[in-house]
Amino acid sequence: MDIVVGVADLKVSNRPEHVLVTHALGSCIGVAIYDPLARVGGMLHFMLPESSLDLSRAQENPYMFADTGVPRLFRECYSLGAQKQRLRVKVAGGSQLFGRPEHFQVGRRNYNVLIHGEDVGGNKARTLCLEIATGKTWVRTTDNQIYEL
Amino acid sequence: MSLIPQILRSLKNLPPFPMVAQRALMLVNKPELSIQELVEVIKFDPAITANVLRIANSAYFGLRREIHSLHQALLLLGTQELLKIIIASGATRLFANATPGYFSERHGLWRHSVSCGLMADLLARELTWAERATCFTAGLLHDIGKLVLSLFVDQKFAAIMEVVETQGKPFHRAEKEILGVDHAEIGGEMARIWDFPDRLRLVIRHHHLDCPESFSDNLVLLIHLADVLVLMFGQNLGREGLAYDGYPEVLKHFGLRERDLEKILLHFGCIWNDAQVFFGLIGSAHGLQCAHRG
Repeated sequence: MDIVVGVADLKVSNRPEHVLVTHALGSCIGVAIYDPLARVGGMLHFMLPESSLDLSRAQENPYMFADTGVPRLFRECYSLGAQKQRLRVKVAGGSQLFGRPEHFQVGRRNYNVLIHGEDVGGNKARTLCLEIATGKTWVRTTDNQIYEL
Repeated sequence: MSLIPQILRSLKNLPPFPMVAQRALMLVNKPELSIQELVEVIKFDPAITANVLRIANSAYFGLRREIHSLHQALLLLGTQELLKIIIASGATRLFANATPGYFSERHGLWRHSVSCGLMADLLARELTWAERATCFTAGLLHDIGKLVLSLFVDQKFAAIMEVVETQGKPFHRAEKEILGVDHAEIGGEMARIWDFPDRLRLVIRHHHLDCPESFSDNLVLLIHLADVLVLMFGQNLGREGLAYDGYPEVLKHFGLRERDLEKILLHFGCIWNDAQVFFGLIGSAHGLQCAHRG
């Protein structure tokens, strides 16, 4: 069953029938984490890198920003039994427009606040999926290419 | 082989622009618009009247009391907001039968168009422009060329994307290379056939800023910026993703910095959920259900 993670949203699950899905990432980033032993996974869809942009909005909805959303993502998974050293982290999104690299940088800045990523940048729109039963993570682009991360 | 003759033939069969929306368009730039004039435009159209009441009562406006009549809606929301609802509502008839091509699902173009309208409105507010209904309308209609070109783009999509990927050209240039014409040119032609106000026609024709003259009109630049911000936001993205140019000149023109763009995206993200009621104007239940599908 697909569990949809909206824009500026977080979902975690330990139910093997669940697939967490976030649709159409532009410059936003989807982060999927998974503990294969506990079979616990979570997905965050954040919009912007830093909560300093608007602290009161960040308090209302911490999932809007990377710096407030990512720690929540980990905490929520720990509360379902995931352990830090076993967690695998996968990231998709952070697309950019064409053009000179010093402008319209939201996608790149979103990516740079995270440590590493596997399918970020470029100019494609992506949907990110995480299967809770297996931890399989894949990306579907809007031109219908599908690949595993 | 160029598809231009076929494309031009399909323009001959263009349906009329919905009448209520057409009449509302003519009122957008009228300096002292009376409430009575607006009521005259819509009072014989029950579907649009129902939409006005539905949107006026939605979380998007967050009014505290329930609105039961057109007059009450006009008094509480004002003519600019009402024009937005009337034009969006009238235009659904045009977008309802859009074929896939640019978008992998049926109402993708409608949702992208509404998003651009709302983003343009938000930018207008940010820049303290008075003509917010004009901005909304221009955002809503900027991509009408895609209504006609989608069938052709669908046939040639792989070839167009190959040009994008191998030559690093933005999508509309690749489109022109493969089809002989791009959606902005066709949209401009449709605006001429439908007798749109000149300024609106120019926005539609030049929203990808493809020639030096495009940079001379504020509204063209604003709609271009709204369009690329909507792409960056994601959601309801076309199959071509973000394969368009971002022009730093536009940011400079409006005195906007990267941080301002982030604030605008944040603001857009906050109104996004409440704005779903606009998406729902097209085939109600379906619109809401698919709101998150790209």
